[in-house]
Amino acid sequence: MTSSEVGDFCDPMDAEIKAKIKNLVVFMCNECGQGAANTAGVARMGYDAAIRIVRVQCSGQVGPIQIMDALNNGADAVGVVGCCLGACHFFNGNILSMHRIKLMKKLFKELGYSDQFVNQWTARAAEGETSVGDFEDMVDRLAVAIKNKGTIKDGC
Amino acid sequence: MAVEVKVFQFNGCNKCFTESILLKLDSEDKVTYIENPKGWKEEKTDIAVITGYLLPEDGKILESITKNSKKVIGYGDCVTMGGIFALANQNGHKITPLKEFIDNASSINGCLGEIMELNQEIKGKSPVKLKGLCTVCKRKSTCDYMEAVHRQIEFEESDVCFNDLGYQCNGFVAQECKERCIDYDAPCRGCKPMVARSGIRMLGMFGTLMGNIEVATEHSVKGATDKLADEDDDITRSVPDVLGNFFRFTLPTSGLPQGRIPSTGSVLEDVFTGRLIEELPLIAGLLAGNKSISLVLNILEAYETGTKMEVGSCTKKIRKHLRKLEGDLGKATESQDAQQYKEITEKIRKIAGNMNLSNLFFGGFRSKITEYDNFDEYKAHPFDVVEGSYAHGCVEYKIDSDGKVTDFKIKEEAL
Ligand code: SF4
Ligand code: SF4
Ligand code: SF4
Repeated sequence: MTSSEVGDFCDPMDAEIKAKIKNLVVFMCNECGQGAANTAGVARMGYDAAIRIVRVQCSGQVGPIQIMDALNNGADAVGVVGCCLGACHFFNGNILSMHRIKLMKKLFKELGYSDQFVNQWTARAAEGETSVGDFEDMVDRLAVAIKNKGTIKDGC
Repeated sequence: MAVEVKVFQFNGCNKCFTESILLKLDSEDKVTYIENPKGWKEEKTDIAVITGYLLPEDGKILESITKNSKKVIGYGDCVTMGGIFALANQNGHKITPLKEFIDNASSINGCLGEIMELNQEIKGKSPVKLKGLCTVCKRKSTCDYMEAVHRQIEFEESDVCFNDLGYQCNGFVAQECKERCIDYDAPCRGCKPMVARSGIRMLGMFGTLMGNIEVATEHSVKGATDKLADEDDDITRSVPDVLGNFFRFTLPTSGLPQGRIPSTGSVLEDVFTGRLIEELPLIAGLLAGNKSISLVLNILEAYETGTKMEVGSCTKKIRKHLRKLEGDLGKATESQDAQQYKEITEKIRKIAGNMNLSNLFFGGFRSKITEYDNFDEYKAHPFDVVEGSYAHGCVEYKIDSDGKVTDFKIKEEAL
């Protein structure tokens, strides 16, 4: 799926589909990821009520096991948010998790599903809007996956 | 104390079933073999051994077997984890592990299941504690990042871990085993997992080891930062078949969702579709029961002829001998001659490495067979992937430019 497909469909957002999204588990690193979410909170920026944040020390701690555990325990989608490229506080954890998530995405496609319900983003601690924007993108992508009947859970 | 054992063969490969003929050797147990459980008239027994893959419709018979036996043992990956046939679950088939039918069965993992372990389980002895495969492997791992993934390697003496060479080996998540593919320059595909959800763990490990390989990122408009890109990149191109290489024996127990790719034919054909050309001998060597040798050789010869690969006369001679041994093995099995079965399998192992036939490859053999001393005369080499259609004997298959099988036809009756 390309970003243009995402754009075509998601504007305006289909309210009915969006209402189905209840649990979007987001693993956020304790540095820029969670930092950006905190900044967003201080500035009272709103984001989708389906977002469930799990704070991790580094996005590099997240891999296929954590993603599958989340999906098998009720998550509609899983997002990972780490530091910007080159800015990981633990050297290269954010890049390593991208490698693993890329393989997971491929695996879901090989099984006949959409690859839009798992992904990794980055954020900047000083800019709350980066994390809020990431959340919006997660919801949009999941909505596309739902519309294309590509998710694991029936209807979501 | 002698016990009564009944061995039941369900679907697919019968290699574990025939291997269990060895239970008769030096034993007072009364072993009987039931090739067609559907027609079985219920009888009490001490121990029931289940072999071959299981489908939901086998539930009723399994229930009656359980009711009539004091103990049920699943023997071989097909039964315990879905095994190699369960790759067809990618295409919607419902191959189901034994534990989803009955709660308290014991499991002997492995493709081929190990007869020693089965024997111990029958005798009620506690299982031997096994080490991790890497600790007994002659190669040693550094766990450094690899520079590139290689789908084949030059076959040569080395003590460097396959993964360090960029050649995926699932030994990290496997237990020490008898068949030891790794001793014949064939990577481990994890038929005896050491941990639960071994495929997913190995996938995470391998993704990490790919740390030096570039992963594509793209600008995210909404977040105004970078994100992981959707497009294909060196990561996805390096591993064209994640499912087949990481979940070869464990798909139904891996926690992944049921596959929804449309089926292209029979279970066996779906198992092969989507796999990589260089993996075909490793797959065929496992699952065709007492016809595995001919299936591997037909697949190899189809590609060799189609791509005009050079095959030396020594290789041809050894292969001919292997085909003959396969015939002999068939006869020994038919006459239920355990001693002869054992002798012939030992001869096959000497050439093919193990009963998975790990030593067989395109153009020759992966490692030296001591009796033929000039290895150069029959040594296999990495080959090029050539898109096209290939056929020989009972098989016909197409591969695409990535070397992925897009279509696989097999005349099972001709096997
Ligand atoms: S495919 Fe493997 S586990 Fe299944 S019966 Fe054959 S040898 Fe045994
Ligand atoms: S991963 Fe494979 S090659 Fe490497 S040490 Fe373990 S068994 Fe040996
Ligand atoms: S080396 Fe071969 S036989 Fe041993 S666990 Fe790995 S795949 Fe199985």
